[in-house]
Amino acid sequence: MSSMIKSAATFRQGLRFVTAFALLLGGAVSSSAADSAVQVQLDTKKSSPRAVESLTEHGIVRDYRFAWTSMAQALELNTLDPLEGTFAGDAKQLLHDTVVSQQHSGLSRQYLNQNHRLEAVFYAPEGDVMELQDTAEYELRISDGGKIVHEEHVVMHFLVLMTPGADRWVIRRLQAMPQS
Amino acid sequence: MHRLLLIGAALCLVACPVTGEAQDLRVPASVIAGDDATISTAGSGKATFYLLGPGVSRKSEVNLGEEIRLRGQELRNAGDYLVLVCTETCHSGTFYVIAAKPASFAFLVHPSRVPVGLGDAVSGVAFPFDQFHNLVLAPVTVTFQLTAGDKSLFSKQVRTQNGVAWFRTASGKSAGLLQVVASLDDLSAKRAVQQVASDPCNLRITGQRIPNGILVQTEPVHDCAGNVVPDGTIVTFSATEANGKSTVDAPIKQGIARAQIEASGATVVSVASGVVMGNELRMEAKP
Repeated sequence: MSSMIKSAATFRQGLRFVTAFALLLGGAVSSSAADSAVQVQLDTKKSSPRAVESLTEHGIVRDYRFAWTSMAQALELNTLDPLEGTFAGDAKQLLHDTVVSQQHSGLSRQYLNQNHRLEAVFYAPEGDVMELQDTAEYELRISDGGKIVHEEHVVMHFLVLMTPGADRWVIRRLQAMPQS
Repeated sequence: MHRLLLIGAALCLVACPVTGEAQDLRVPASVIAGDDATISTAGSGKATFYLLGPGVSRKSEVNLGEEIRLRGQELRNAGDYLVLVCTETCHSGTFYVIAAKPASFAFLVHPSRVPVGLGDAVSGVAFPFDQFHNLVLAPVTVTFQLTAGDKSLFSKQVRTQNGVAWFRTASGKSAGLLQVVASLDDLSAKRAVQQVASDPCNLRITGQRIPNGILVQTEPVHDCAGNVVPDGTIVTFSATEANGKSTVDAPIKQGIARAQIEASGATVVSVASGVVMGNELRMEAKP
């Protein structure tokens, strides 16, 4: 009996390793593929009261693109791992809830051909928080148990709060704005 | 033939999926976060209902022609929601959930310690959130107040734009605690900034010969507004003799910095603290 339990545990451990490796490999490939598909442009002309420095601008574009790539991956594969490090606070909690809810309902969302036009509208005097508005265009695909039930081209406006972390900018709030 | 049709119909009642026709789908234009809402459908039969929004992903079976009730609990997050009602085909609708009234603040104030009399030195940023942590985008007026002791230093009403209000102002003239308050209706958030003396002003020293050198000390060190420079601030004494130069760093203790310098010949002692220079002291050679 104990050897059966042991072999089952070994099998589970092996399976976990293979799964983790496959996820890592698959994640890396799809991440780079999805990442290149996410277009982000940033306009900082209206940023006030602080101007956005060139290095900061590059960091925001890089990290925002990565955040949407991660989010798309999380909501397509219904996994929480991609959300680590790119989202914080309420934004992370909300995405966590969305993924968990999708896991229960068997639904998933795909964000394809993403194009984001970001505009910095507020950059705090001390540089510790930036507010941006994103006009995002993408193909939204909803699947139920792998079967596509809805597909549409979407134009959405998002309000984004980003704060600098140790080595990147993280999203603290990503909230859709009413359509004007 | 007639009998065959009847048998076919009877079998279908048992085995065929009951599908309906969703002719019409009415969704509210907007809902306040946490409020219940209803969606009306037309047609008859069963359909699959999907609700997808921030933090929610629901699938359930509904009867066409009946109202679909959405509980406030699943509409707590502000943002865009997508509704799908599917039979053989899917009909979709979207609605927006608006943040409820402000229930809390995120209030960031900088810096935590500031020298007195510095322009644009204190700043604060306030973000109002509703009870579900949604950023309130509808404009609201936030009042910023800065007080030192019982003296009001600054007061300004600022209307939020895209959910943010901010201020920037000079620090006060006196060292001590600066209270920074942001308020909106019956909500308020308090932060404290420690105002400290600025750079020393009129740094002056006196000195006397002692058996093994010179004892020098500052007069009580103040900034230009008369605030006592905090203990621990470093004062540098430099003694220049014919045969060389020596330097001693001494912290201010109870407003005064003291140092003992080994020197026997004619000596010039100077003093500095930060970027501020003081007077020079010329001491004759030891008799």
